[in-house]
Amino acid sequence: MKMAHRSAFRHGGGTAYLFLLPWLIGFFGLTLGPMLGSLYLSLTKYNLLNAPRWLGLANYRQIFTADDYFYRSLAVTFKYVLFSVPLKMIFALLVALALNKGIRLLGIYRTVYYIPSLLGGSVAIAIVWRQIFAGDGLVNHFLGLFGIEGPAWISHPSYILSTIVTLSVWQFGSAMVIFLAGIKQIPADLYEASQVDGANKLRQFFKITLPMLSPVIFFNLVMGIINSFQVFTPGYVIGDGRGGPVNSTLFYTLYLYLKGFSFFDMGYAAALAWIMLIIIGGFTSIVFVTSKFWVFYGDGREGK
Amino acid sequence: MRRHLGVGMMALLLAGTTACSGGSGNKENAGAAGGGPETSVDQVELRIMWWGDQKRADRTNEALRKFEEKHPHIKVIGEFAPSSGYFDKLNTQLASGTAPDVFFLGGNVIDYSEKGVLLDLQPYVDKELKLADMDKAMVEYGTLDGKLVHISAGANARGMAINTELFKKAGVPVPADGWTWEEYSRISQEISKKLGKGYYGTYNFTVEGMDIYLKQRGKQLYDMGQGKLSFEEQDAVDWFNYWNDMYKKGGIVTPDLQVSNPPGDTSKSLLVTGKVAMSLIPSNQFTAHQNLIQDTLTMVQVPRGPKGTGVVFESSQGLSGYAKTEHPKEVATLMNYWVNDPDAARILGSDRGVPVTSKMRELLMLDASAQEQIVYDYTNRVSEATLKEPFAVSYNPPNFTEFSKLAETAVQEIGFGQKSVEQGVADFYNGALQIFGSTP
Repeated sequence: MKMAHRSAFRHGGGTAYLFLLPWLIGFFGLTLGPMLGSLYLSLTKYNLLNAPRWLGLANYRQIFTADDYFYRSLAVTFKYVLFSVPLKMIFALLVALALNKGIRLLGIYRTVYYIPSLLGGSVAIAIVWRQIFAGDGLVNHFLGLFGIEGPAWISHPSYILSTIVTLSVWQFGSAMVIFLAGIKQIPADLYEASQVDGANKLRQFFKITLPMLSPVIFFNLVMGIINSFQVFTPGYVIGDGRGGPVNSTLFYTLYLYLKGFSFFDMGYAAALAWIMLIIIGGFTSIVFVTSKFWVFYGDGREGK
Repeated sequence: MRRHLGVGMMALLLAGTTACSGGSGNKENAGAAGGGPETSVDQVELRIMWWGDQKRADRTNEALRKFEEKHPHIKVIGEFAPSSGYFDKLNTQLASGTAPDVFFLGGNVIDYSEKGVLLDLQPYVDKELKLADMDKAMVEYGTLDGKLVHISAGANARGMAINTELFKKAGVPVPADGWTWEEYSRISQEISKKLGKGYYGTYNFTVEGMDIYLKQRGKQLYDMGQGKLSFEEQDAVDWFNYWNDMYKKGGIVTPDLQVSNPPGDTSKSLLVTGKVAMSLIPSNQFTAHQNLIQDTLTMVQVPRGPKGTGVVFESSQGLSGYAKTEHPKEVATLMNYWVNDPDAARILGSDRGVPVTSKMRELLMLDASAQEQIVYDYTNRVSEATLKEPFAVSYNPPNFTEFSKLAETAVQEIGFGQKSVEQGVADFYNGALQIFGSTP
């Protein structure tokens, strides 16, 4: 009896692993393997075309001590993350709240607002953005109606990052859909009870909606941080593809790409990639560690 | 039974994945496999890649079809990319071992020859590849470290393209060869002033003109033999100051316009839209510019310095073979067609520069259009000038991409007012020392 049970267990496990095999092969061959490869390359001088030459930690040392571009690209990326993540989440939340007011044809609105999220990362949209914000583009024509002469948004180092942030905020759709689902999960009796107690709308929002939504906010925040740190396409397409003007679009990933593929220094680029991994990991874990203070699961796990 | 089914399905799945990966892995070699023993006809497939616009692509593809007609056993697949992304693409393909059999390179040929990825064409000379008619200097240009790795596809000389219509409107006479930088600056300001808002005398050519300026002073960007920077910081200070003064006096395009409408992009260049009167261009780009604007353009030599103009009639770009190509003979045949075949010359024209063999040059000059005549006339004047005041042909220094980004950033930092000229140049010079000091 016992034997039969065990064999059935092993049998089941084997089949499971067999079915997992394609994924496992993909994971080891296409994810873990290349990652280890890049870890090795980060310790070498590798110009893409000749065999790598062992350097030890020299790449890392140079990055931290003698690379001006490294700090500049970090600064640009941080600035972008700092603006785009909160703005996008606030915007998504506001739209979700508006859509939750019981308007008709909700499904259509939800779909329409979701579309930018699907398109936003593409090169085509980045090019459209370029046109809209160009010196003689749509935005400046609009401002011209009020007699305002707008600057060349995409070719001035002080403004170009803000147009890229706008592009990211415009892709609020996926965060919005998740918020909307979260809002719909909040039991209506909480609102009814608070209404009886005389709470106004604003108080309801801060005391009920936000705490009940905190797991969703947590999820959106983590995904937002991870995605924004890896921003590449808008910098490459809206900027001049070399980080210009004046390094104002030199996102970390763009710098990494230039180092590896344009400047023939793949070892250095691999080292940059590992530093990025550690930075993203660091920020994500900060969010996770602090989450116990502000995320409310409503299932008794909170409130310690 | 269920277990057998599971294993069977697994095996099937696995077979599927390996078959797929095998298929994609062999894609580049598909042509090669076609040339194997199992097919009777010795069919060969070549890939070639170049940079440029759609017009160039149309011409090039037409020339390739003609080549296939003449060599029925060779099939050529063309790929192209705009110049901005071309080298990133090529580098990626070289790194993964999937580079085309033939690709175009410019002055950066040295970057690739150093890394040993270019095919040595010497064994095919006088067999598949005939160079008897080719200019000696061009053969030498393509010979690096004793190996022939590059066949020039055209020669050009940089010069000032001038919109004569804007000069007429401003009431300024079109300058003649032999003018100086002072005159250039004065004329630019005059045109900007007379034509009013939105019109400019010239683009900012601090970066593009730097090597010319240094040569005019008897120096150069980089000494290939000694492997180091070959100018002083003071040279750079003078040069940057010259442009900054001109900018302050209103003679040149504003920095943000230079970013959004870079001079090198014919589809956006303000020369083409009739807003800028003078632009430094390679002579082979002249017709491309003229085709896009009604106003009549002409070409004048760049302003001269103490030692002359510093501009040489030299290779604009050329063909190199991939060291790992499986069909070196066919690669050589294709290159031979490119430089020696009258049909190729007629189809390709002088889009990549004036042909490098005397016979093809004569052929094209016979039925040159008025615009092309301007280019031939201009390059002849440059050739004559360099007879009196010779300058060495120059390759791009190694790490040139990194260097030009550095220089461009410095110009923009100064232009957008983020740094003073002194500070900007100091940072630029130190950065340049660092870039050229690093060995590949």
